[in-house]
Amino acid sequence: MGNDVRMSRSQLLDADQAPITTRVYFADGDPGPIVAALATVPELLGPALSFVGAALGPGSVTTRAKELAILRTSVLQGCRYCIHAHTAVALDVGLSTDEIHGLHGDIALEDAFPQVAERALIGWIDALAGATGAIPDDVWIAAREHWPEHALVELTVTVGATMFLNRLATGLELPTSDQVTARLTKEGLA
Amino acid sequence: MTDSAVAEAINSGELPGRVWIYSNYHCNLACSYCLTESSPRSERRQLTAEQMLTIAIEAKSLGFTGIGVTGGEPLLLPWLPETVAAMAAHLPVLLLTNGTLLGGDRFERAAPFAHPDVAVQISLDSHLPDVNDMARGPDNFEKVVALVPRLIVSGVRVRIATTTAGPLDGPTLEPLRALVRSLGVSDEDHIVRPIVRRGRADERDLGVFAVARDIPSELTIAADGAFWGSFGPSVRAGRLDTDLLLTRTILPLSIPASTLLATLRGLPEGADASLGIR
Repeated sequence: MGNDVRMSRSQLLDADQAPITTRVYFADGDPGPIVAALATVPELLGPALSFVGAALGPGSVTTRAKELAILRTSVLQGCRYCIHAHTAVALDVGLSTDEIHGLHGDIALEDAFPQVAERALIGWIDALAGATGAIPDDVWIAAREHWPEHALVELTVTVGATMFLNRLATGLELPTSDQVTARLTKEGLA
Repeated sequence: MTDSAVAEAINSGELPGRVWIYSNYHCNLACSYCLTESSPRSERRQLTAEQMLTIAIEAKSLGFTGIGVTGGEPLLLPWLPETVAAMAAHLPVLLLTNGTLLGGDRFERAAPFAHPDVAVQISLDSHLPDVNDMARGPDNFEKVVALVPRLIVSGVRVRIATTTAGPLDGPTLEPLRALVRSLGVSDEDHIVRPIVRRGRADERDLGVFAVARDIPSELTIAADGAFWGSFGPSVRAGRLDTDLLLTRTILPLSIPASTLLATLRGLPEGADASLGIR
């Protein structure tokens, strides 16, 4: 994982320049670069955060499965900001260092994820986020053997929302926070 | 928020009836207190004639009652007079100009303004030429006092706007008021307003601080987006102020209009326009 922390390509608004309709997001201090960047188009901020919050936040599947989907997608999309941020989140929700290295592609998935169900899910995520075009039936069928349909729909939305964030953060070159960089360095994951 | 909610809010007085349009940001002058740091070197950031006419048409359908056009100097746009007349077919138009581009042979450009639903507002900040010109530029006073009577004789309704760091009323303004009357402009068409500390005025430590509740909540459209109030799209150190930005979407006008109303209703109780800013 690279540690290429650069200035944002687009303006990141602070509380003084936060548009009048977005101030609630700045009320408790720095809301982070995603909000600070989206606030430059205020009519998009609320709808975007509502969607992302629903897609990435608590749902019918476990937090572990969601975070697995988010981090793996970010790795496949090569999003430095999201890999950094969600490696820290993955640690918080209990993924092991080996599992994180597996999602990063540093070690074999078979070694990092002994459970067939999780490897099948990763196969589905890889087909969504790591390739283009149609997805072979066998990938879906393998995932469906272990996951209910609604869970795969939900996780597909999670992957899609993550890809939106990946391209936003990559395109605008959003900066990794100092706290996240320090955390990853401490854990040997920087 | 529905379109009819906007119309009801305008009818009840909750929402001001005028929509302001920043036609462009560049200007032939560079006034000391300019909100938008306008000058001949400013980026134009101009709307098209078609956009301005569409705004007027949609504003009328939403229930707005008037249009204000400002800049920059709108008359730097060659098509502006005819566009103002076209907009006035839908809603009354108040055009703000420094008046310096209608002198001499260019006076004929003012012909479309001799219209029952068009008024032209020209800036004049002091009865003393040197004081006025210090803020607004060389020979500005002379050009304005020569232009105003010509416009009035030609059938154009003229308003005078005075922007001042001094008192907004009282005996110190009387010489200026007398001058304005002598030009043929009535007291009711002479607006006196404070310098608002935004844009170049802020950099030069001029004027009164103003936050959203101090500024009339008039919907304001510029190339950069839609703003709360005509003081919203200010520029400081070359960068647009976004604190009063409502939406980047300007058309359909119902989007920023409904956002403005929703924002207005979210403000704390007692919010009003109390600084005499207009």
